[in-house]
Amino acid sequence: MTALVLALFVSATPHAPQQAGSALHDGAREARVQGLGKLLRCPMCQGLSIADSGSSAARAQMDRVRELVAEGKTDDEIRAYFVARYGEWALLEPSAHGMNWLVWLLPVVLLLVGALVIGWLVRRAPPPHGDEAAALRAKPPLSGDPYLDAVRAELRK
Amino acid sequence: MTRGPVVALGCVAAAVGALLFAFASGFGRDPHEVPFALKGKPAPDFTLTRLDTGEKVTLAELRGHPFVLNFWASWCGPCQLEHPTLARAAQRYQHDARFFGVVFEDTTEDARVFARPMDPSFPQLIDPQSRMAVDYGVTGVPETYFIDAQGVIRDKYVGPLLDGQELATRLAALQQPSAPGASR
Amino acid sequence: MRGTLGYAFVLGGLLCAVFGAVVGIEGGLRRRAGTRAWVERATTGFFLCMLLANLTMVWALVAHDFSVHYVAQVGSRTTPLVYTVVSLWSALEGSILFWGLILGTYLLAFARAQRNSRERTVELGLGTMLGVATFFAFLIAGPANPFGPVVPIPPDGPGPNALLQNHVLMVIHPPMLYCGYVGMTVPFGIAVAALLDGHLGEAWLNALRRWTLVAWTFLTVGIILGSWWAYAVLGWGGYWAWDPVENASFLPWLTATAFLHATMLQERRRVLKLWTLSLALASFALTVLGTFMTRSGIFNSVHSFTQSDIGPTFLVFLGLVVAVSIGLLAVRGPQLASEDRLPGVASRETAILVNNLLFAALTFTILLGTVFPLVREAFSGVRVSVGAPYFNRMAIPLGIAILFLMGVGPSLPWGHADRDVWRRQFLIPALVGVAVLAACLAGGLRGWAPLTTFGLGGFVATVTLRELFLPAWVRMREKGERPWTSFARSAARSRRRTGGYLVHLAVVVVFVAIAASSAYVQHTSGTLAPGQTLTLGGYTVRFVGLEQGEDPHRHWVAARLDVTRAGGGHTTLAPRMNFYERTTDPVGSPAVSSDAFEDLYLTLLAFGPDASKATTTASFNMWTFPLVGWIWWSIPLFVIGALVAAWPKRRSVPAVAETEPKGSTPSAARGTAVAETEPKGSTPSAARETA
Repeated sequence: MTALVLALFVSATPHAPQQAGSALHDGAREARVQGLGKLLRCPMCQGLSIADSGSSAARAQMDRVRELVAEGKTDDEIRAYFVARYGEWALLEPSAHGMNWLVWLLPVVLLLVGALVIGWLVRRAPPPHGDEAAALRAKPPLSGDPYLDAVRAELRK
Repeated sequence: MTRGPVVALGCVAAAVGALLFAFASGFGRDPHEVPFALKGKPAPDFTLTRLDTGEKVTLAELRGHPFVLNFWASWCGPCQLEHPTLARAAQRYQHDARFFGVVFEDTTEDARVFARPMDPSFPQLIDPQSRMAVDYGVTGVPETYFIDAQGVIRDKYVGPLLDGQELATRLAALQQPSAPGASR
Repeated sequence: MRGTLGYAFVLGGLLCAVFGAVVGIEGGLRRRAGTRAWVERATTGFFLCMLLANLTMVWALVAHDFSVHYVAQVGSRTTPLVYTVVSLWSALEGSILFWGLILGTYLLAFARAQRNSRERTVELGLGTMLGVATFFAFLIAGPANPFGPVVPIPPDGPGPNALLQNHVLMVIHPPMLYCGYVGMTVPFGIAVAALLDGHLGEAWLNALRRWTLVAWTFLTVGIILGSWWAYAVLGWGGYWAWDPVENASFLPWLTATAFLHATMLQERRRVLKLWTLSLALASFALTVLGTFMTRSGIFNSVHSFTQSDIGPTFLVFLGLVVAVSIGLLAVRGPQLASEDRLPGVASRETAILVNNLLFAALTFTILLGTVFPLVREAFSGVRVSVGAPYFNRMAIPLGIAILFLMGVGPSLPWGHADRDVWRRQFLIPALVGVAVLAACLAGGLRGWAPLTTFGLGGFVATVTLRELFLPAWVRMREKGERPWTSFARSAARSRRRTGGYLVHLAVVVVFVAIAASSAYVQHTSGTLAPGQTLTLGGYTVRFVGLEQGEDPHRHWVAARLDVTRAGGGHTTLAPRMNFYERTTDPVGSPAVSSDAFEDLYLTLLAFGPDASKATTTASFNMWTFPLVGWIWWSIPLFVIGALVAAWPKRRSVPAVAETEPKGSTPSAARGTAVAETEPKGSTPSAARETA
C-alpha cells in the first residue's frame, strides 16, 4: 500500500492548487474582505484565520467572502453564513452569547477584584504625618532615589 | 490564616479542579475534527457543469433519488487512491444512488488531464472558485457527502473512502427515511 | 544491546531520584544527620544516569541502531548527521529523555551552589526537586520509553518530521525552551522547601530569585526564537498565532516576570511572602500544564503530538503539583506573615503591586482563552473557537498598561513620594514621549495602538536610560572619572538594577517592534507571468521563472524573483512550495529579505499554465513588515541584562546600598547586606561583617 502511494506521488508531476484565489477588490471593499477573513477560522489549519492561511480551503473560503461582499451582504450575514456550515467553531472570536460571556467578563472581574485588593493593602498603612513627613521632606530631594543618595554618600567618603 | 487568602486558595482549587475535569474529558476526542453543521439540513442549491459533456447539472433535477457527492482535486493523492472504490460502487449501486464527483480548487484542464478516467456512471462536475464546496461546508479533500431523496444531507465522510463495506453501509442508510425530527 | 544499556541507566536514574526524594524530604523534616550527604549523592547519581542514558541514545541514533524503538521512530540513514543528533528531541520520547538530562544538570548545579549552606532547606529543596525528577524518570521508564526493543529490526526509518529539518532555528529553539521549562523546577523546590521549613530567609529568597532568573532567561530566548522560527518557516507572515502551545510557553514566563518583581517588594518590605511563593509555585505548575498541553494531543496546535498514554499521566502529575502547592500554602501560610506595612499609593511598592496585578490578569486571560473551548465542550458539548482576535483584544490594552507602568514604576521612589518628586521625575520623560508622538503624527503614522506604544516607548526609554546612566553621571561629575569607567563601576555596584533596566530596554524594543510590524504591514498578492512585476511600498518584484528540485524526502518548486528597491538595492529571492508524501496540501517556504528597518516577505501560492497555455504563471503573496527584525535582535540585550543582573559578586565587595535602606529601620542594613552576598559560594557571616 505504501509503495502504491509513493508510486502515485512520484509519477504525478507535483501540482499546486491552480487557483490563486479570485481577483482582489479595491480599497475599502478588500479591506472589509480581509477584516472578515481575519475573524473566520481556516478548517484545515491549526487556529489560523482564512485571511492568514495559504491552504486551499482557506483560499476557497476567502473567494466566497469576496463574492458575498460583492453581493452586498452585511458582516453579520456573512458570519451567519459560515456559522450555518461550520458551527460557532468557525468564528475566531467567541460571540457574546450565553456561556461565552464568561470568557469576556472574567478577566475584567479579575482586574477589578485585584485593584480592590491593592487598594485595601495600600490603605492599611496610614500616610506618614508629623515628624516622619517632615523628615522626608527635609531630605535633599535630588531624584527621590535613595540609591543615588547612597552613591553620593559613598563618594563623599 | 485570614479570610482573604483562604477564599483565594479555595477559588483557585475549585477552578483547577474544573480545568482538570475538562482536560480529562478531552481525551479520546479529535481536536482537529471540524463541526459539521449541515447534517440533517437541506442540501444547498447548485448549478455545475459536467466535465465530459459540458451540460449543466442542478440540484433540482436530482430530487427524488439519493445521490453521493465526492469532492476531490487533481493535486490530492488520497483522492486518487479512493477513486477505484467509488467508481466500483457507482457501477454496482447505480440504481440505489447516483454518484457525482466535484472538483475542488482546480482548473478544468488539470481536472481533465490528471483526472480519473471519464466514467458515465460517475460524472465529474467542475466547481469554479469552489463556491459550491464552501456552500456545502467542505473543509478539504477528499470528502464524500450522502444526500437522500428528499435532498437532505444525511452524512459526510472526511478523508479517503477506501473501504467498500463502509461505503455500502452508508448507502444503505441513505435509503432509509430520515428519523422524525432528525433535521432540526 | 544499546537499548538494554540505555534502559538500565534510566532505571538507575529512577532509583536515585526516588531515594533522594524520600531521604531529602523525610531527613530534612526530621533534621536527620547525614541527610545532606545522601541527597547530594542521589543528585549526582541521577545526573550521571541521565547523562549516560542520553549519550547511549545519541550513540544509537548515530549508529542507526533500528533495534531501539526511538531510533526506529525518527532515525533514517539519509538524514544528515546534525539532524540525526538533533532528532534526540524531535519526537516525544526522546525529548522527555533530553528533559531528564537537563533536569539532572540543573539539580547538580543547584547542589553544588548550595554546598556551603548548612540549612535544612537545601535537603528539603533537593528532595522536592528529586521528587519531580522521579516523575520524569518514571515517564521515561514507563509510558514514554524510548529504549524499547523493536522486533523484527527494520532496515531503515522514516526520519524526523520534515518540517523540523529545514531550518537551523529548529536545532536551538527546543533546547532553549527546555532549559527554561525545566529550570522552573529549581525555584519550585526552593519554594516548597521554604514552606515546609516554615521560614523564608534572605539567603533562601536570594537563591529563589537567582534560579528563577536563570530559567526565565532561557525561557525568554526560547520563546523569541520560537516566534522567529514560526515567521521564517511557516509562511503566513506572522510570528505569534496565539496557538495553545505558544500560549503555554508564555504563561510561566509571565508569572516568573511577576515573581522577579515581587521579590523586590519582598526584600524591602517583607510583605506578601505568600504571594511571592505562590508565583514561584505557579510558574512551575504552569510549565507542567504547558508540557501537558503540548503532549496530550487534546489541543489543536501546530505542535500537537498524537494522543498517547502520556497525557493522563501528566494530568495526574499536574493535579498532584497543584494539590501539594495549595496544601502547603494553606497549612504553612500563617507562619509566613508579613512583617511590615506598605506605604501609600504613590510609591514604587504600589507600582510593583500593580505590575503583579497586570501580569496576573494577563496570565489568567491567556489561560482562560486557551482552555475555554475545551471547558465549554466538556460541560455543554458546544464547540467554539478562541483565537487571535480575542487574545489581541485582551492583551493589547494590558500590554500598553504594562508598558506605561514600566515608565512610572522606576520613576517613583521607595516609600512615600511627595509632589516635587513627581514633577521632577516625570516631566522630562513625559515631554520626550509627547515629542515622539508628535513626530510620528507628523510623519503620517496613524492608529491609536501603535501611536500610544511609540509615545509610551519614548517615555519609558527616557526613564530607563536615565536610571541607567544617572548614577554614572553623578560619579563622573563628583569624582571626575571617565564616562566608561563610571558606568562600569556604577553597574558593578548595582548589578540587579543595571541588568533589570537593560532588560526593560529590551522589552521596549520588542513592544515598539511588535506595534510597528503589526500595524503598518503592507500586503498585496497577484499572479505573474515571467517578466511581469509586482510592486509594494518601494519594492519591485519581477518574476523570472520556476525551478524544481528533488530531495530524498520531498520534491520542491521554487519561483525565482528579482527584487529591486526604490533608492538602489537589488536582490534575488526564491520562495518555494515543498511537496511531501504525507500531506495533501504542499508546504510553502517563504523568502525573506531583511534590512535594519524592514522585512520584505514573499510566498509562492500557486503555479501552472495560464489560460492561453502559452506560459507558466505563478501567484504570490507579498508583505512588508516594518521593524520585525528588532524582535529577534532584542535577544542579546535580554541576555546581557540577565547576565549582569545575575552575575555573582566576589565576597570582598562591600555590599553598599545595593538594596536601598527601608525608611529608617536599622535592621534593614544588616538584612540587605546578607541579601546581596552570593549564597552560592560564600557564607552569610562574611557578608554581615561588611555591613
